[in-house]
Amino acid sequence: MTHLIRPNRRTFLKTGAALGAASLGLPAFAADPKQVNFQLSWLHSVQFSGSYIASQKGYWSDLGLDVALTQGGPNAPVEPPVVSGNALMGISAADYTAAAVAQGAPFKIIAVAMQKNPFAIASLAENPVNEPSDLVGKKIGMSVSNTPVLQALCTLNNVDINAIEIVPTQYDPAPLVTGQVDCLLCWETDLPVAMTIKGVENTTMLMANHGYSVHSQTYIATEDSIADRRADLVALLKGEVMGWNDYLADTDAAAALTVEMFPDAGLDAPTQKLQAERQVPLMFSELTESNGFGWFTEDTVAANIETLALLDRNVGAELWDRSLLEEVHG
Amino acid sequence: MKRALPIIWVLLGLSLWQAGSFLSPDSLVFAGPFAIAEYMQQNAGLLARATAATTQAAIWGFLWGNLAAVVMAALIILVPKAERFTSLLALVLFCLPMLATGPILRVISGPGDIPQIALAALAVYYTTYLALIVGLRAMPQSWPDLMAIYGRGSITTLLFVRARASLPYFFVGLQVAAPAAFLGAMIGEFTGAERGLGVLTLRAMRALDVEATWTLALLAATIAMLGYWVFGWLGKWLVGYVPVIILSPTTSVARKPFWQRLVEAIALAFVILLLWQVILDVFGLNSFFAKRPGDVWMFLNSNADARATLVEAFSQTLMTTIPGYTAGLLLGVVLAMIVVLVPNLSSILMPVSVALRAVPIITTAPLIVLALGRGPVGTITVVAVMIFFPTFLVCLQGLRQTPGQVLDLFRVYQVGRLRLLFTAQVPTMLPALFAAAKMAVPAAILAVTTTEWLATGQGLGVLMALTATTSDYNMLWSCIVVITLAAVLFYAAIVVLERAVLRIYASEQVT
Repeated sequence: MTHLIRPNRRTFLKTGAALGAASLGLPAFAADPKQVNFQLSWLHSVQFSGSYIASQKGYWSDLGLDVALTQGGPNAPVEPPVVSGNALMGISAADYTAAAVAQGAPFKIIAVAMQKNPFAIASLAENPVNEPSDLVGKKIGMSVSNTPVLQALCTLNNVDINAIEIVPTQYDPAPLVTGQVDCLLCWETDLPVAMTIKGVENTTMLMANHGYSVHSQTYIATEDSIADRRADLVALLKGEVMGWNDYLADTDAAAALTVEMFPDAGLDAPTQKLQAERQVPLMFSELTESNGFGWFTEDTVAANIETLALLDRNVGAELWDRSLLEEVHG
Repeated sequence: MKRALPIIWVLLGLSLWQAGSFLSPDSLVFAGPFAIAEYMQQNAGLLARATAATTQAAIWGFLWGNLAAVVMAALIILVPKAERFTSLLALVLFCLPMLATGPILRVISGPGDIPQIALAALAVYYTTYLALIVGLRAMPQSWPDLMAIYGRGSITTLLFVRARASLPYFFVGLQVAAPAAFLGAMIGEFTGAERGLGVLTLRAMRALDVEATWTLALLAATIAMLGYWVFGWLGKWLVGYVPVIILSPTTSVARKPFWQRLVEAIALAFVILLLWQVILDVFGLNSFFAKRPGDVWMFLNSNADARATLVEAFSQTLMTTIPGYTAGLLLGVVLAMIVVLVPNLSSILMPVSVALRAVPIITTAPLIVLALGRGPVGTITVVAVMIFFPTFLVCLQGLRQTPGQVLDLFRVYQVGRLRLLFTAQVPTMLPALFAAAKMAVPAAILAVTTTEWLATGQGLGVLMALTATTSDYNMLWSCIVVITLAAVLFYAAIVVLERAVLRIYASEQVT
């Protein structure tokens, strides 16, 4: 195997990255890229387009990784493959991770993609829910498993949850559109986007703006992986950060890439484009602007611990580990 | 005119459907035939690729599942002593909720289509197995006796006598299996498959893409119906004769003493627990999500709250399972009787039944609940719709098995149709009815838990679905144990009833 060295963007980057790795005291690349699985939390969509950019632009292969992006689904929990080592890193959320840790999984949150939790209350424009107090007397469609989430919102805003009628629904905008319920508990970035694309005028109230501080789309890895495969994790995060930085620069291109990369996923280009725009304020903030993508601080962690306690998840700051991200941005 | 009748029905249905969609334009839950045709045309490539992916997984699952059924049924005939254990194992495997098996299969297999194939196989083997068991015994005792007199072994008897006798039942089993395999493959895609109709359905429902949802449901139903008809046609073509059963005299079989059966049952339970432990250990599955028998025992023993939650959820599930089960069986039997009494109706009843069964439950359950409310009536209806179909088909086959001589005799005496049905045809249907009743036990539980998960938000279905957010895998495995135990007990009760009834009406089935 002889490689003629032709200077191009990739070798340039590779050299740069190699130097960077060397300066971090990391081992130099092996000739073959390392096969790594990265478990996503849901079906392929623009929600993970930073990773697609990293993959497509070769950010990971330049760092010596061959990353397989495994999609999730309604019957594909993230925690089992990460715990069993089938996936090196997974995408979870602070509340799910806290629950898994309480059940004995040795997880750490090593970076946070969604600074603001995407949970929102969606309602139709003619009967809007703009404040938590507007929920009183309304029928809300949601999965009963999310009752603790609503309970936490109510506690944070002094609203009596018994004054809200909970209607168990599937994760589907139809009950709201057909008038069975007045509002839905859903993500800011999916059902409301679908309604807007279909021409249904709607409004959302982001729970994160009313005290609900739970990191979402968090990157998790096991303590063992952090100890034994630290270099791979740092490289994985580094590519991820580069991908998301490109995403911020051009969300339309990210949406277009997502649709192009997954022709069998049935993705709709305008929906992906709108979703890509809508998730920017959740993922990027002053904090990430000054410290870099994925960042978290003692303060944001403390706010999380407080909200998680309302969800009956009692965790300490040791659930978060910023050291890998510090190496990435360092 | 007779040939044109179904076409007229189809055209009438289509125009009513289109008229309905004109009445509610811009509807976000309803799509008419024109909208569906337009969607199909615009997304032909996508739909073709997804259909190919799901169909391929369904076909592999169909093959493996039915192969397993044939092997198990043959084993039982050759080694009758193995029946209890094989039946129990088959039942336990069939009871495992897909919510639990899906992720585990995905962790074991990694990316690819193994979970889809495995869930499709799991969805089909049990019904085929039960149909085959009845079929392999559907012959007068004198036939195997004759073979024995000529010094032929049980293998020869199985291949040359029993296998042929079982063919009509086998093909009914395959007909039931075809839509089930397709549904299994679609649900298997929920474990993170990259392409397929199940993936697209999920996406369409969330995106409020009504045209896509209806197109996908229609496509899935059409393919499932095609499978059903292919095997019906193959059955007619290959079997080509109406089997004649000469009723045998009642034989008395000595029963083992109670204590001996009790010891056997305990031993079987022990073997199942051992298998559970060993399989998880062999695959090296992490005990965070793959709980062993000891973990579940400790969890339930030490946690009174968990026990209370489990009992409450279980009683909620039971409240809808039993009425739904009964309604589904009744519906199946009554439909089969109607078709026998008024054969002309079958050209309408058959396609409607196949369609009802074939439309994926993930899209029908919310619609039925939408129409009937979130109370028990909605869930009971979903269960009935899910289980009536195998009952209908198997009972129809049973009714048609009535020996020709008996029918001739009744006709000679000009007995009325109803009387003929109840005195001659229903008794020959009984083995089939009991097979259907057994098939329906796990299917009913599956239907209830799925509906609870997707629509009503209570019971064991929700408790299991919660695992995805709470990682409370001890609770998930406890649910599996409770469901399996309930199904086994329910099943045992039916077996007791079956023995008592068949001893009188179809003694060749009693071993």
